[in-house]
Amino acid sequence: MELLVCVKQVPDDSVTVTLDASGKPNLGGITPVVNAFDTYALEMATRFKEANGGNVSVITVGDLKENEKSLRSCLSVGASTAITVSAGDADAACALACGIPAAGTYDVIFCGSESTDVSAAQTGIRLAAALNLPVVTNVLALEPADGGLTVKQETEEGYRTVSVPTPCVLTIVKPAYDPRYPTMKSKMAARKIPISTVTVDAPAASDAAKCVKISAPAQRQAGVKIQEKEAADAVAKAMGMLIDRKLV
Amino acid sequence: MDKQSILVYLEAQEGQIVKVSLEALNAAKQCAAKSGKSVAAVLVNAADAAASAAHYGADSVVTVEAGEYQPERYAHILKTLMERAEAELLFVGSTRDGRELAARVAAAFNIPCVSDATAISDEGFVRSIYGGSLMETIAVTGKAVISVRSGTFGKPECDESRIAPVSAETVADETQLRAVIRESVKELAESVNLEDAEVIVAGGRGMGSAEGFKMVEELAELLGGVVGASRPAIEDGWVPRNHQVGQSGKIVAPKLYIACGISGAMQHVSGMSGSGFIVAINKDEDAPIFDVADVGIVGNVNDILPLMIEEIRARKA
Repeated sequence: MELLVCVKQVPDDSVTVTLDASGKPNLGGITPVVNAFDTYALEMATRFKEANGGNVSVITVGDLKENEKSLRSCLSVGASTAITVSAGDADAACALACGIPAAGTYDVIFCGSESTDVSAAQTGIRLAAALNLPVVTNVLALEPADGGLTVKQETEEGYRTVSVPTPCVLTIVKPAYDPRYPTMKSKMAARKIPISTVTVDAPAASDAAKCVKISAPAQRQAGVKIQEKEAADAVAKAMGMLIDRKLV
Repeated sequence: MDKQSILVYLEAQEGQIVKVSLEALNAAKQCAAKSGKSVAAVLVNAADAAASAAHYGADSVVTVEAGEYQPERYAHILKTLMERAEAELLFVGSTRDGRELAARVAAAFNIPCVSDATAISDEGFVRSIYGGSLMETIAVTGKAVISVRSGTFGKPECDESRIAPVSAETVADETQLRAVIRESVKELAESVNLEDAEVIVAGGRGMGSAEGFKMVEELAELLGGVVGASRPAIEDGWVPRNHQVGQSGKIVAPKLYIACGISGAMQHVSGMSGSGFIVAINKDEDAPIFDVADVGIVGNVNDILPLMIEEIRARKA
């Protein structure tokens, strides 16, 4: 099967983002990385390819130069082809919906269930709607079935088994395993793979929803820090404060 | 169903409206109060919750009987009702299914969807970005779907004398289902009510093991509280994922929050910084959790927690 993984480069999500003097997110010093959920999607696609055959490609939206490092990292852990979509001011789902048919024919399109920067969890669903494909969200595992796939979907209290025909879109959550690391050899090989750019004429993003303000959440004041040699003394102090406030 | 009312989709189980759906109703009522519109609650296969929807303040209730839950089917029903009501706004509680349905309906109309709104300001809908580091405000014009983050809007007041007109709508089941749910398995037996807890004792990676995590459970039980956890403790399988607090879990605001062996990543802190009083125990004196703690104990949880448990037990005796 031809497997396509949509990836987005995001600021390292272990770093707290602050506002700069002009009130915009200060992303300057933060390392760009592949969205964690997309790395789970890539690993799942790669495992599926290893078990069932096929090819894994990755696709992203935006400038090749800005995204090259992230795409190369994907090429070193399972993908064999990488594509960027140049689509002007279009939103991601729309750019992908225009770019994917221009890039090739795919049986399964994987997306991370959400991105760690905006966490809207909409791209996979909107992409599927634009391509008129079925979509299953929050996927933990997949296997081939007659005419399509059987997938395991994570729910609030357990899981569901879902049948879906191919081609389809899946949005991926964190499974029980971690994405693999590249090896020196796979990194070297990834460097040599040409990355293609698909330029599409996609409609600009609608201004029906506009970000009008970005603010920092209310800061809490740090209180008392208790540092004692003996744990018993620290606990006695802390308990005293909790008792004074009638919290225990 | 009044024309141009604000719709809110309420998920219900056995006549009980789920908590985050009630929060969505509250958000819809806030919007309605500003615009002078009415709020119509939508119940699918849950007509037995109609009276309850009225008690919580829906101005009218629409019930639909349909086949079992399938995302494509339910999204079609909500889309159809939005069209029929000429509704500009649809609110949905951000359960996993709710958040998905919100995006599906928005995608079908090609209209905006604000995911996981945490507040409504004069300028628009507020939601968190960058793992809770920052908040963005989204202004929408025209039709939109809003999903509401659990633990942010609170339940509306319940008045059992309130009644509202209930209308049964029929939506032709014309969707050709493509993705089909074959089986649903419930793995997590207990339901965890972190949002309403007055005391939460939460553990993180610093608890070291499933065995170590038991101390968190012991302290929570002793204090009549609920067990919370940060992501590493969930991923290591020490505690089921419905205990997670933070960006990918619940937003909580208990009177007392005790964070044990939690370093305080933004994704966790953004879910608990609204707590009344925060106690943090961590061996790393530079752990960011101490920046939000009212009382921070620098020390090993394995030394501190047994003593704390002992002291509280002694006070109770």
